[in-house]
Amino acid sequence: MSAKPKVAFFEFTSCEGCQLTVVDSLQDHPELLDAVEIVQFREAISEKGEDYAIAFIEGSCSRPSDEPKLQAIRQQAAIVVALGACAHLGGINAIRNRMPLQEVREYVYGDRAEWFETYEPRPIKDVIKVDAVIPGCPIDRREFIKAVTHLLQGRMPFIPDQPLCMECKLKENICVYTRGKVCLGPITLAGCDAICPTYGDGCEGCRGLIANPNIEAMRQVMHEHGLTDEAIDAKLSMFLTNQIMALEEAG
Amino acid sequence: MSFKIMPKAALPDWVTWLKNRYRVVGPTARQGQYVFAEIASPDELVLDYPTSVLPPKKYLLPQRETLFTFDAQSMQMKANIEWEPTVILGVHTCDMHAIRLLDKVHATGYTDQHYQAHRQHTTLVSIECLSPCMEHSFCKSMGTLTVPEDYDLHLTDLGDSYGVDVGSEKGEALLQGFTAIWDPTSEDYQRINKVMAEKWPRFSYRLNFDVTELPDLLALSNNSSLWNELGDICLGCGQCTKVCPTCYCFDVRDEVDLSLTKGERTRTWDSCQIDRFATVAGGHNFRSTRALRNRHRFMRKGKYHLEAYGLIGCVGCGRCAAACLVHITPVDTFNELYRRHKKGELLEEAKQA
Amino acid sequence: MTTLLKETLKHSSIYLPTPARITAVKDLTALEKLFTIELPSGFSLNHRPGQFVQISVLGVGEAPISISSSPSRSNGSFEVCVRRVGSVTNAMHALKPGAMLGLRGPFGRGFPVERFRGKDILFVPGGLGLAPLRSLINEVLDERGKYGRVIILYGTRTPADILFRDEIAQWQQRTDIEFHMTVDRPDESWTGNVGVITTLFPKIQIHPRNMVAVVVGPPVMYRFVLMELLGKGIAEGNIWFSFERHMKCGVGKCGHCQMHHIYTCQDGPSFSYAEIKHLEEAL
Repeated sequence: MSAKPKVAFFEFTSCEGCQLTVVDSLQDHPELLDAVEIVQFREAISEKGEDYAIAFIEGSCSRPSDEPKLQAIRQQAAIVVALGACAHLGGINAIRNRMPLQEVREYVYGDRAEWFETYEPRPIKDVIKVDAVIPGCPIDRREFIKAVTHLLQGRMPFIPDQPLCMECKLKENICVYTRGKVCLGPITLAGCDAICPTYGDGCEGCRGLIANPNIEAMRQVMHEHGLTDEAIDAKLSMFLTNQIMALEEAG
Repeated sequence: MSFKIMPKAALPDWVTWLKNRYRVVGPTARQGQYVFAEIASPDELVLDYPTSVLPPKKYLLPQRETLFTFDAQSMQMKANIEWEPTVILGVHTCDMHAIRLLDKVHATGYTDQHYQAHRQHTTLVSIECLSPCMEHSFCKSMGTLTVPEDYDLHLTDLGDSYGVDVGSEKGEALLQGFTAIWDPTSEDYQRINKVMAEKWPRFSYRLNFDVTELPDLLALSNNSSLWNELGDICLGCGQCTKVCPTCYCFDVRDEVDLSLTKGERTRTWDSCQIDRFATVAGGHNFRSTRALRNRHRFMRKGKYHLEAYGLIGCVGCGRCAAACLVHITPVDTFNELYRRHKKGELLEEAKQA
Repeated sequence: MTTLLKETLKHSSIYLPTPARITAVKDLTALEKLFTIELPSGFSLNHRPGQFVQISVLGVGEAPISISSSPSRSNGSFEVCVRRVGSVTNAMHALKPGAMLGLRGPFGRGFPVERFRGKDILFVPGGLGLAPLRSLINEVLDERGKYGRVIILYGTRTPADILFRDEIAQWQQRTDIEFHMTVDRPDESWTGNVGVITTLFPKIQIHPRNMVAVVVGPPVMYRFVLMELLGKGIAEGNIWFSFERHMKCGVGKCGHCQMHHIYTCQDGPSFSYAEIKHLEEAL
């Protein structure tokens, strides 16, 4: 790409933490602003340009009225990138997909549930074609820069396709299981530099499942480390609800 | 070449003395386990460590290494051959055997100059294992409970001193000018003989058959249902291959900075246990199941390396067993294959296939 | 005059490529392009049919690509037929004549052409398999007198996937080549044979005693063609394949192309059936 490509950021159901991470990464790499032109970015600028080639979308699609907005973005953008776990997987918002929707609505909105439209939060790829994903909750700022670099090179961002354990072991971290905690590292995609285990916490699965994960074995491991079935379900639902429900459906 | 005695009290001085000349690395404590790391101060060194999370091979084949830097515009490329004069202290004999295999791999056919540069500038100070380091090790079964011939310096703990075997000129150089060592007395010789004689019974044979039978056993095991059973429980997390001292497979990636022209090509440890490892660009995966990938790993360790390089690919360190969250271990795997073989099951399964 | 491989070996790293220039790019199908690559002056490729080169698009990566031109027609430059499937091949497709690539190799063991002399040769390319096999076919055709019958059975998925149409037209004209073609899924214009590649076998006479078969195609094709060839009585040592594996380093180190104890990039990618029939993972 010769002219500076125009870039826009959008948010759906999310905390906008991934866009804050983008702001953060721009502080480390201000030269990114020489390479692209940002025309819409609520976290950083007040302009709202509608002429953009690359759209970064944060957030899940959690209500019917999100769909035409997503479709409009798709129509305009040559490249659509799902930014972070909500856009990529449905994110934390999707925890509720295991529960009856009506109950959830009444619990959240009380007797005014009917005032608010909502449905099962879903990854944006369920609504529009997504060209690339930058996973994580929040995204990794170095990975964001790398992904933009790849896009500027005219190729799709490369996201590691190996389990987190690989990355964690490369750092020679002491396995959090031996430190009395459970971790979803064996079935979760790497790329975050194993940040949670590095600081002593188990992985929560925010980057999504590896290809062909062995969920049953993962449950067994957590069971051996003292988790009840209920606690295991909870662990697997933080970020992975939609993916695991899809696996269950596929048998 | 020669044999010397170094009092343990002199060890800190020796480490400091070495540090003035080399990068000195050795086993250090980390959160209840041990990792090889640069020794900043001699008191960090734990020579009687049980085992390390990663083997010392990381100093010869770093987890991540830049192969070359480039400018895609001008097509300028510059090889990145890195080395630093390094002494690795406290290498267990299993890891010494593993390095022997790595040496062979990287010199067979095309020479890998990156490995070679690290290796040539590294001096290995190995240490005799006097009792089993952990429940999973099975070095005695694999014939690695003693140092291979091509060592540099080899230490044996004699209580208040170390016996120091000098095996090479590189090893000898680590002692040159260091004065707190002396020639052994007849009592020192008696003591080392006693220590060595007493160590062997402390280790047990954990394979139920002789290691020389392993390649043939595996040759019969291609169609064993055991691989499916392992595939069913394996998480495919790849930890076994990360901690293995004889694994050397790698992935290669290019990255450029925002100039889009300046960048580097790096290699990173990879794993045959990962889903896409044997997938070609068109999408076909030549080892598409965890069962096939487990078989490949154990075949590689027990059979293929012997065929390709003349050395068994497993040194019995037990790290993969310790790291595995679902308790897949080489000892259990090989023993189970042997048990099934004795019952005639392997031949039966091979016939059916 | 030096060879590219000698130059590669002189580098301080075996992984360091040598720059080379693309001089021509030709569309073959919607997915495949033919690149002509010029070696630096004074260099020869000196390859054997069946060998591959590692091609770098600096900043994107490196991929193993089999050489499509024959040694007899590779004078200071050579050809590769590249399907757009991964990041490197996609990046290559965006390149125009004049663009620079990095090269290492040629690597691997090619086909033992001299052992094929005097024999009838049956070429069985499937799909993109014609790309590496074209190197051998043209080598044989350029010394046509040294070989017996030349038979080519070519199969593709659809007529739109047919590679090297101009050359195929010439092969079809020649009386000293028996050429047959098939597609799995015809379009309206297709008048030829329809069906998988093995449906071409009844069209040819095979005298197994004097025949070498060379089969290159997608992994699924090999077993079926092999059964056909063994059924015709062709000796196991005279049935040759080229194996596709993920050759990341090309020099027997990275492990990706390993099948059993063999590094496909070193001991292959060409193998006779006799050499690999006991290897569970090969076919």
